[in-house]
Amino acid sequence: MADDDAPSDSSLLVIIVDTNPNQRYITEDPKVLTNCLDAVIAFANSHLMQKARNELAVIGCHFHKSEYLYPTPGKPLDVRQIDGQYELFTLVEKTIKMRLVNLIKSQPPEEKPGESLLAGAVAMALCFIAKFRREATPGLRITARILIVTGSSDTAAQYINYMNVFFTAQKQQVLIDVCSLDKHLSLLQQGCDITGGLYLKVPSLEGLLQYLLWVFLPETSERTKLVLPGRGRVDYRAACFCHRELLTIGYVCSVCLSVFCKFSPICTTCHTVFKIGGPLPIKPKKKKMKV
Amino acid sequence: MADDEQDTKEYRWETGYEKTWEAIKEDEDGLVEGLVAEFAQKAARKAVVPRRGPVRLGMMRHVLVAVDCSEAMNSQDLKPSRFLCTLKLLEKFIEEYFDQNPLSQLGLVLMKNKRAEKLTELSGNVRKHLKALQGLTDMALTGEPSLQNTLEFAGRVLKPLPAHASRELLVLFASLTTCDPGDINTTIQALKTEGIRCSVIGLAAEVRICKKLCQDTGGEYGVVLDDVHYRSLLLDSTSPPPRARALDAGLVKMGFPHSAPQTNQTDPGTNADPPITVCMCHLDDGEGVGGEGHLCPQCRSKYCSLPAQCRTCGLTLASAPHLARSYHHLFPVEPYEEVAYEGQAQYCFACLRNFTDIDKQVYRCGRCHEFYCWECESVVSTTLHVCPGCASRPHLYQRLPDSS
Ligand SMILES: [Zn+2]
Ligand SMILES: [Zn+2]
Ligand SMILES: [Zn+2]
Ligand SMILES: [Zn+2]
Ligand SMILES: [Zn+2]
Ligand SMILES: [Zn+2]
Repeated sequence: MADDDAPSDSSLLVIIVDTNPNQRYITEDPKVLTNCLDAVIAFANSHLMQKARNELAVIGCHFHKSEYLYPTPGKPLDVRQIDGQYELFTLVEKTIKMRLVNLIKSQPPEEKPGESLLAGAVAMALCFIAKFRREATPGLRITARILIVTGSSDTAAQYINYMNVFFTAQKQQVLIDVCSLDKHLSLLQQGCDITGGLYLKVPSLEGLLQYLLWVFLPETSERTKLVLPGRGRVDYRAACFCHRELLTIGYVCSVCLSVFCKFSPICTTCHTVFKIGGPLPIKPKKKKMKV
Repeated sequence: MADDEQDTKEYRWETGYEKTWEAIKEDEDGLVEGLVAEFAQKAARKAVVPRRGPVRLGMMRHVLVAVDCSEAMNSQDLKPSRFLCTLKLLEKFIEEYFDQNPLSQLGLVLMKNKRAEKLTELSGNVRKHLKALQGLTDMALTGEPSLQNTLEFAGRVLKPLPAHASRELLVLFASLTTCDPGDINTTIQALKTEGIRCSVIGLAAEVRICKKLCQDTGGEYGVVLDDVHYRSLLLDSTSPPPRARALDAGLVKMGFPHSAPQTNQTDPGTNADPPITVCMCHLDDGEGVGGEGHLCPQCRSKYCSLPAQCRTCGLTLASAPHLARSYHHLFPVEPYEEVAYEGQAQYCFACLRNFTDIDKQVYRCGRCHEFYCWECESVVSTTLHVCPGCASRPHLYQRLPDSS
């Protein structure tokens, strides 16, 4: 955990799979979810194969709640060995599929699917990682990362939750990788940038497993040696608290740092009353500069 | 040496005699395991509480932290050694500093062999500072430090920065001597006229020149009693100094630069190379020509890192995450309710840990009604500031204030 360049003894990967039925690729063809899930499971097993001490967790993010698909709380599933398949791999696949069916069955029938609450799933993952680190053998070098696989779009509604989980991940040295199956995700891309993870929007779902294996399988220490997709340009504009619109110039309350798109005499967040006479004057000498 | 004796703080060995063993009682099965776990819980929770209270955020601070790397840092009166203890506490300090001062910058300086050596550039990049610190663990600590050279160095770095933002130096000083090339008093006077605030945390005993430095420049001077005291001295210096606070209570106009030139906003990957420009922050060094940067939305000057103050039009430039880092102070999670464990749930909702006989208490969120273990409760309330259960429920996740 301390040194990015030294290989770890054990690496924990938490995969968050967006299973929301309102993702465009699922509404177009529901069967594609199964294909994507198979790719994720194959990827998860490849991770376990890399090192004997590697660990895995998978969280399903549905529209009504998020749940661990693997491991099972309490006793692990009883799996009978299938010929030619490593027992653990069978366990992973069976558990994920069975628990996903339960998760989907538990969705309230009359509720319309809303946005996927990925920030909540990341919060769960961070708690799981914290537990893993607490329980690990002292002296073991541990790395942990989170991979989000989603075809949803991100909106400013989860903004605060996203920022809190991103900064917690940064503090705990957990990378957040994002694999977008459909749209460009500017908030999640900020999360990758803050935590040092990778962001990739896959051009087609066909080769999903290839993309996962090539881009997201190498752990931190190996990534510096590989040619991976660049960070690209990250949009760091702020959203105003009043209309949640992205701004290039805004007004910030100096007490609580809330962002507003126009001047108002009182901060609606912390109720500070500002001095009359408009925003604090910042008028330096007007110098002409050629840039 | 000691000008005043108003310090009435107790030393560790002066505190009350605690009969800790008397609290240990066996349970019905003659086991103490459950009690030990309960003690650990209580101790962990006690350590967390004192850092709460009204939070004042500092806007723009520039702080250089100078770390003594002389022989005196080898001493083992702090465990495992003064130096390693310092590194560990500095990590916490850096995190806390950026939490409290989201738009501020920090730089690290090493006091090595009579010289002041830059470890990290003044910047708002937490990861870079932490990584640099982690690389120091095996460094050899020899020779004497030079306070004057450190002050001169800090003066050179801090002087060019805009004066309305605070400019500060914090020295972690273990040596009882300093090896200076000239008259240190002249240097102190120069810092005083510049308005650079110097604070010192002494790791050994009070040193007269350090005290004078702090008095003259308006800083704080403290001498460490033990590691707990050291930690609190360091963390105290993360809250903005009075003068930085005086700038508060206003609405500040701020720019959030796009990293891409606004003319071609197509796919982020296919942008043509931006025209060659010079960044304003490195103009004086003759560096910083070309490459990527952040453009001031008002006057298009370029800066290679954020936050910054535009030197041409005066606009404060920041990125949204710089502000968002401290939003958890505005929207805190509702504290969980502590309930006696009676088998209400088999496992912790967040981390899947099974509840066992050791868990005398579990924690319940009043909004999402999920149960959490005490470790997760502490993670949620001290660092995460998001309830995992609430944040994944459609009717509970929103915490932005209503637009009304
Ligand atoms: Zn607005
Ligand atoms: Zn405010
Ligand atoms: Zn520059
Ligand atoms: Zn400008
Ligand atoms: Zn837990
Ligand atoms: Zn909750």
